Amino acid sequence: MTTHTSTIETVDKKAGGREANLGLWLTLPTQLLVVFIAVFPILMQLYISLTDWSPLDGIQWWRAWELWNTFANYTDLAADSQFWGAVGRTFLIMAICVPVEFLLGLGLAILFVDNFPGRKILYSVLLVPMMVVPAVAGYMFYMLFQSGGPVNDLLSIFVGYPVRIAWLSDPTLALFAIIVADIWQWTPLMFLVLLAGLVGVPEDQQQAATLLGASWTRRFFTIVLPRMKAIIIIALAIRVIENFKIFDTLFIMTNGGPGVATETISVYIYKITQQDLIWGYVAAIALAILIVLSLVSVFAIKLIASKEQAS
Amino acid sequence: MTQITLENLGKNFGSFTALAGMNLTIADGEFVALLGPSGCGKSTTMNMVAGMLQPSTGSISFDGRDMGNVPMARRGVGFVFQNYAIFTHMTVRENLAYGPKAQGMGSAEVTKRVEEIASLLQLGSMLDRRSGGLSVNILQRLAIGRSAIVEPAIFLLDEPLSNVDAAFRAVMRTELKQLQRQFKQTMVYVTHDQLEAMTMADRIAVMDHGKLLQVGTPLEVYNNPADTFVARFIGSPGMNLIDGEISKSDKTTMVDLKQFGSFGPVPDAVLGKLKSSDGKVIFGFRPEMVELDSNGSLKMPVNFVERIGARTLLHLGDPDDSIKITVSNHEPVPKQGEVAQFTIPPQAARYFDPQTGNVLRGEA
Amino acid sequence: MQRTLLFETFRFSIIFLIIALTLVPTLWMVSMAFKPIQEWSASGGDLTWWPKNPTLDNFRFIFGESSSELIVALERGAGRPILASLLSATFGTLIAMVAGTTAAYGLSRFNSGRNLPLALIQLRLFPPMAVMIPVMIMWAFLGLTDTWWGLALIYGIVTLPFAFWLMKTFFDDMPREIEDAALVEGCSRFRVFLKITLPMMRPALASSALFVFILNWSDYLIALLLTTRDWVTIPVYMASLSSSMTGQLYGAKAALGLIAAIPPVVMGIAIQKHLVRGLTFGALKE
Repeated sequence: MTTHTSTIETVDKKAGGREANLGLWLTLPTQLLVVFIAVFPILMQLYISLTDWSPLDGIQWWRAWELWNTFANYTDLAADSQFWGAVGRTFLIMAICVPVEFLLGLGLAILFVDNFPGRKILYSVLLVPMMVVPAVAGYMFYMLFQSGGPVNDLLSIFVGYPVRIAWLSDPTLALFAIIVADIWQWTPLMFLVLLAGLVGVPEDQQQAATLLGASWTRRFFTIVLPRMKAIIIIALAIRVIENFKIFDTLFIMTNGGPGVATETISVYIYKITQQDLIWGYVAAIALAILIVLSLVSVFAIKLIASKEQAS
Repeated sequence: MTQITLENLGKNFGSFTALAGMNLTIADGEFVALLGPSGCGKSTTMNMVAGMLQPSTGSISFDGRDMGNVPMARRGVGFVFQNYAIFTHMTVRENLAYGPKAQGMGSAEVTKRVEEIASLLQLGSMLDRRSGGLSVNILQRLAIGRSAIVEPAIFLLDEPLSNVDAAFRAVMRTELKQLQRQFKQTMVYVTHDQLEAMTMADRIAVMDHGKLLQVGTPLEVYNNPADTFVARFIGSPGMNLIDGEISKSDKTTMVDLKQFGSFGPVPDAVLGKLKSSDGKVIFGFRPEMVELDSNGSLKMPVNFVERIGARTLLHLGDPDDSIKITVSNHEPVPKQGEVAQFTIPPQAARYFDPQTGNVLRGEA
Repeated sequence: MQRTLLFETFRFSIIFLIIALTLVPTLWMVSMAFKPIQEWSASGGDLTWWPKNPTLDNFRFIFGESSSELIVALERGAGRPILASLLSATFGTLIAMVAGTTAAYGLSRFNSGRNLPLALIQLRLFPPMAVMIPVMIMWAFLGLTDTWWGLALIYGIVTLPFAFWLMKTFFDDMPREIEDAALVEGCSRFRVFLKITLPMMRPALASSALFVFILNWSDYLIALLLTTRDWVTIPVYMASLSSSMTGQLYGAKAALGLIAAIPPVVMGIAIQKHLVRGLTFGALKE
């Protein structure tokens, strides 16, 4: 009897050990890829950012120490008005796009929350923009906003005389066109996520509120919105993160121009990477952004976690 | 304090009839239970009274006033949902104050009312707690308080105890009944649990397949079921029903129960009501209405003995469709495999029409 | 919400306005793809909303046939960029799915790699622009620049967070009793994973793979930086559809844009049910 139990125990232990091993093996490829794409490049980036290295110098990157300039890139960055201009524009675009997308998405979600004939098909149609390749959307809007294009044509119909606005050549209008394209493409995402949230608000709670005499508006602000808080935060976070990276549509529509009128952080980095080729400086900018984003994300995650604990 | 009248009330969902021809008057301050299995139309009835559903036919009126065009927000109906629908993102106080605020009451008045109702329901000590983590009996009180604070004309309760575990249900039942006595409100209570209906309601309305089958006090419904469905549904275990045939001999009329023996005499009034000429009838009796008697006219083999404390439940006859009787432990109980022989007092025997299922009443 | 006639009218007018705004840009591209050069813009006269003389010239043109209308001929057709997009997106999806699925299973069942959920979210958080310098150096060093397999590798890594999170939520949702039953029968853990779990997860795997494929197919920036000539993808290649004589070749761009837009739209509608889950890293399951 004793021997019997001990055999079972050893078998169990062996199986447990094997299981832990299997877990490690299963996660290994992903761990390696993370190291490959995060740890190694960041160290490399740190090294290059402390030098004046450029691929044009004719020396390999590991010999970049020959061009050591310590923190010169970082001090340059602090004084780089074109960079700070790009930062400002990135946040300006975000400050307009994200709230507009949120409000439009929420409004649409409210209209879609209960069933009506044709709901399913209209829902699918509304999701189309989100799935169009962003670069293709960029070309689409590039065509639409040509001076001989359909946007002007439609405006002509409304005002009654031929309109020939050169949208993408005017600094303000170009920014407007870019914002329109972003709203067109990403409102569906807000709609999709917020609708999922709205549908998840328990119906009996809303009925209970109605039976207590609450109007639709009161119900919306006291029951529906508070219940959707987590989902709203998720939706906004996704759009803020993605909008911060804005590049494809914008770059294709305006190239960051006219001048630097629509130059965002991503476009600016792209330009100095591909055109100026000052990679030591690019590495410094990139690393600075990574550090700031990491700090912000850690802070945000802690904030959300502490709030969740409180409630 | 309102009298509710349902007149020929019906509801169709497409081609499916959820409720048809419901007539019911609920008196002021009465506690009525709508009882039936799921899908019987009881929740549909309740939702129409609350105004969440529009009736397909018929009308609902409160104190004679037709409710057809009154939206649910203005019916003055207090509704306690199955899972209470407490606003868990608010405190207890905010939950209670929700209704008065929504109806535009001044903040001084709101505070006063919240304090009043909280002390009545013993919620005073937890007014500023978040309602999310409260225990289920407090949630029940809160749900009732939240509705009661706006002084609704009637209270509707939608299976409020179905998510509560069995042990706690008895506590909650008592508490609910006491609350009803305090508020003296008209209450309509939907449940599929006959025990809840029996213990709490003034009157029970038994429903099945979208039809109202019988309305009466718990004892009426228990003792004089209107048909075989009610007979089987009420009571635990329900009434025993055995197929029988009327057999007339020179002196008396008996009901022949085949291998189980026979019972009689069958009252003449029952014979008069019997429509079918083949003499077929369903014979019914309550499990506790039997007396073990070695000279009894009924005898069945015992296939299972279930001891339930002071009494013993015997399963007799066919194991798949057994007849159940309860007997006292004070007398010797037949063992499994033996034959139980017993009698039934004449006033405890019930007869039903096998075609319609309706009772063939001895009296009247 | 009360269902009044007024409300329904309001609802439908708003919805149709939004649907119109949603569809007009897309339909414009569709119409453009079938227009001959004279109808491309209003500069030659009136703007035509729908092609008066529909033609397939634009499609023939991008695949290398010279057209009588367009004096220019393309140096290189769109065939190879389409192949590049297909190969890089497909194999990128394969890498992300294999690594993501195994890791998600490891975490969901053995609690291994607890650092991964957060690490992968952070990976997604960073703009690709901010890690591209080292990636470009590494890719040049490894000889991966301007190859479809080099693109596939970086695509696989970039979309790995989505594959991992999606599969993790699917594994978390799956009842373990079935696996346990197979274990009791004496199968090894790994065999259970291969023979029981994966076949059961086939719909989840398909949805996740399609989702990841859409993301890979949609890339522009990475291909712009890592390919130069031989293996440029569709979006990068589209920039070359212009000439000094005719300016932008709108019709050709629209035709290629249409070809590029159709697969993700079709796939996206097919996996509609799981879009929310994918986009929110599994935080929301509809």
